Amino acid sequence: MRRTIITILTALVVVLGLGTAVIAANGGDSSTVTRARLERSLPTTFANLYVTQAALQGRTGITAASVHPQAMCDKAGAVGKDIGPGGDWVCLMSWTDPEVPMPPEGYGKFELNVHSNDCYTASGPSKLTGFLTMTDSKGREVTNPVFEFDGCFDPHGDNAATGVVFPSLLNATSTTVTPDPQGRASIQVTCGTGDQGCAGTVAVTAGGTDLGTVPYDLQEESTGTVVAPKRLPAGAKEVTFTVRPTTGVGPTSPVVLPVQPAG
Amino acid sequence: MSTTETLPTGHEVVATPVRRRGGVLSALRWELRKLRAQYRARAVLLGALLMPIVVVVVIQGQSRPPKDTLLGRFATENGFALALLVLGFASQWVLPLLTAIVAGDIFASEDQHGTWKTVLTRSTSRGRLFWAKTLTAAGFAALVLLVLAVSTIASSLLIVGHQPLIGLSGQTIPTAEALRLVAASWATMLPPMLGFTCLAILLSVWSRNPAVGIAAPVVIGMVMQLVGALGGVEAIRPFLLSTPFEAWHGLLTQPRFTGPLVEGLLTSGAWCAGSLAIAFVLLRHRDITGG
Amino acid sequence: MTDVLAVDAVGVTKTFGAVRAVDDISVRVKAGEVYGVLGPNGAGKTTFLRMLFGLIRPDSGTIEVFGRTWDEAGVGVLDGVAGFIESPKFYPYLTGRQNLEGLALLDGGVRPGLLDEVLDLVEMTERADQKVGGYSYGMRQRLGVAASLLREPRLLVLDEPANGLDPAGIRDMRALVKRLAASGLTVLLSSHHMDEVEEICDNVTIMRRGSVAFHGSIADLRAMAPDPGHRMVTSDDDRAVALAARHPAVSVVRDPDPDGRPALAVTGPQRQVSGYVASIVQADVELLELTPTQTPLEALFFMLTDDETEMEGAR
Repeated sequence: MRRTIITILTALVVVLGLGTAVIAANGGDSSTVTRARLERSLPTTFANLYVTQAALQGRTGITAASVHPQAMCDKAGAVGKDIGPGGDWVCLMSWTDPEVPMPPEGYGKFELNVHSNDCYTASGPSKLTGFLTMTDSKGREVTNPVFEFDGCFDPHGDNAATGVVFPSLLNATSTTVTPDPQGRASIQVTCGTGDQGCAGTVAVTAGGTDLGTVPYDLQEESTGTVVAPKRLPAGAKEVTFTVRPTTGVGPTSPVVLPVQPAG
Repeated sequence: MSTTETLPTGHEVVATPVRRRGGVLSALRWELRKLRAQYRARAVLLGALLMPIVVVVVIQGQSRPPKDTLLGRFATENGFALALLVLGFASQWVLPLLTAIVAGDIFASEDQHGTWKTVLTRSTSRGRLFWAKTLTAAGFAALVLLVLAVSTIASSLLIVGHQPLIGLSGQTIPTAEALRLVAASWATMLPPMLGFTCLAILLSVWSRNPAVGIAAPVVIGMVMQLVGALGGVEAIRPFLLSTPFEAWHGLLTQPRFTGPLVEGLLTSGAWCAGSLAIAFVLLRHRDITGG
Repeated sequence: MTDVLAVDAVGVTKTFGAVRAVDDISVRVKAGEVYGVLGPNGAGKTTFLRMLFGLIRPDSGTIEVFGRTWDEAGVGVLDGVAGFIESPKFYPYLTGRQNLEGLALLDGGVRPGLLDEVLDLVEMTERADQKVGGYSYGMRQRLGVAASLLREPRLLVLDEPANGLDPAGIRDMRALVKRLAASGLTVLLSSHHMDEVEEICDNVTIMRRGSVAFHGSIADLRAMAPDPGHRMVTSDDDRAVALAARHPAVSVVRDPDPDGRPALAVTGPQRQVSGYVASIVQADVELLELTPTQTPLEALFFMLTDDETEMEGAR
């Protein structure tokens, strides 16, 4: 029995010791999971599956080349380094399909869970790629190949930057306007994954009254609040926020929110 | 009793009866004969033949495919995907266990039965016995893998079907090509499995206890899996004996990549050589006091 | 026959941790003789025999078997040597015959028919096709002898061959060893029973705590032996003790049984004891019982191997 315990402990110590030594030697940043490899692998896999999806729908004329997807990947927002396995990878991908136009920002957002064994599971934006099941050309319910899919990439594959960048998308997350104790209107905005974060101005109006123009500057994957400098006039029913981005993209039409009286 | 003869040097010595000494081949035949007589070896082979069929039937009967495993989302509708799903599962601990059942026992059972002195007082050296046992364990590992692979692939294709397979780059792989790649993927299990065989041999020689020889490689394999799946310590992944079990992924992508296969071969070979060298030295220098 | 010694061990020492199992032992076994290694359990007999077979490496000293050492000849040293150490062990899931066939494979094959011959010799032919797992201790011991004879050895090493056997088994085993010895085989036998060695062996080494306590022939040993002891029960112990005064060479002491029955312990040279006994009978004392308690050699063996006694080995 003693021999058994010694055996197992020794083996563990050897494994852990070796591990520590190697990590120390490599500075711990030697993962094969990198942004560039994902940016190459994900579009390839997606294109192949998109063609399969089109074929299931009975569409012709869609080929991997015609889809021509491009992706920009990012791990853990602006703060994290874009390296290493994890469930916090986000890839923005654009592709070409005449029947499925890209939204104004020009891409769809894919969430990836990347494993240390250089394989990943990606789930697509259902507005663009559809849901778990789909109806094929013969009317059968089949699994949608691009709703969620697996892929693997070469750990020694090309690791040069792809140069693909997409702007961050600023989104309003508030659904109503509640004046603060000073009677000012505010709106909560989120800056999505993207190249440089979000910056620009928001012009706020209520009815015909100009409540002022406020600058914003957010890092990607962060949230901020835009507060109008002037008091909201009494009796205002709606507030209009017009976003004019200088960096990143924003809502193309003004955001109109109903006023929820305080208290 | 003895005849005498005169050697050219003039010394009179008793003539040694002409004794052929058993070579590695004789020792190998003996080990194979013992293995055939062992219940556990037959049970392992039978298990390798039947278990895949049960697993395939059970998975095929699931209403939801096991999506959290690679290729699992197609497992209930595609035989090739199911055969690869079983492969991924088997490589976690089943393959190390199957080989360790024989390799972890083959040296320690001589301690268990007290038979080291029985065989070492014959005309066979420790070295020859070592290689005979090692070859036996390695051959058994290869045989078990073959049985398991054939049973899994055959039952998957017969029970689930052989539609074209969606590969790990999303590409559609035609049936004939898929069969070739699935078989090749199973074949890539052999180097790491032999690595575990060597590890089990080392533990068998060192612990002199069949239970340790069988269980410890499985535990070590699972710890390696765990460490290999952690983020942040990926630098040690290439040195782990569990990593080559995942090298087949490269066969199912387009373009194919074989870097991990080559690395896996080197890793498995290094583990094997290291384990066998230590085991050999331990056995050669050991005082056989028991039995 | 030849002047090459079957076994020539010189200054052999082996230490396990803090225990010196064998301490500077030298043993020389001539070809053709039956040699005994005698000692109580733990005296180092088995460790010495294991070193002879190369199972254990000596720390120092050399062991030559028919003129060859392990360093030069490796396993070739065992050509012509066979035997077993402690109780012979086999694979329980194989039959006796399969075990022997396998061991023959390791020997590089044996001549046809030999396997049946040796099975027959140890009277195991009928049980040979049963699994060893079901064998009795004595059957395994006999199979061990058969496995050794399969090598057609010139030197047979038997470690406590009668150990653990019932009286009939001991008798059969001794008869077998005698038969084998009579065929001209060199036999090296270890035992902790003086009578076994006395009956069969020409020369002995008596070991005590890893060292040699006596080394020489059985005849030399007999010469050193003390007087034989007897246990005597008479109808009139007082008269018997009184009569002993007329026999100064004989010592007579009251030595009741453990359960209290009166008895006398009589020690002295055999001739004088006979005279004393005759005088008792002439004095009309009834002699109810007279049994030897310890053979002289047994008494000597216990003296030699008793921790309290120090004795120089003859020679």
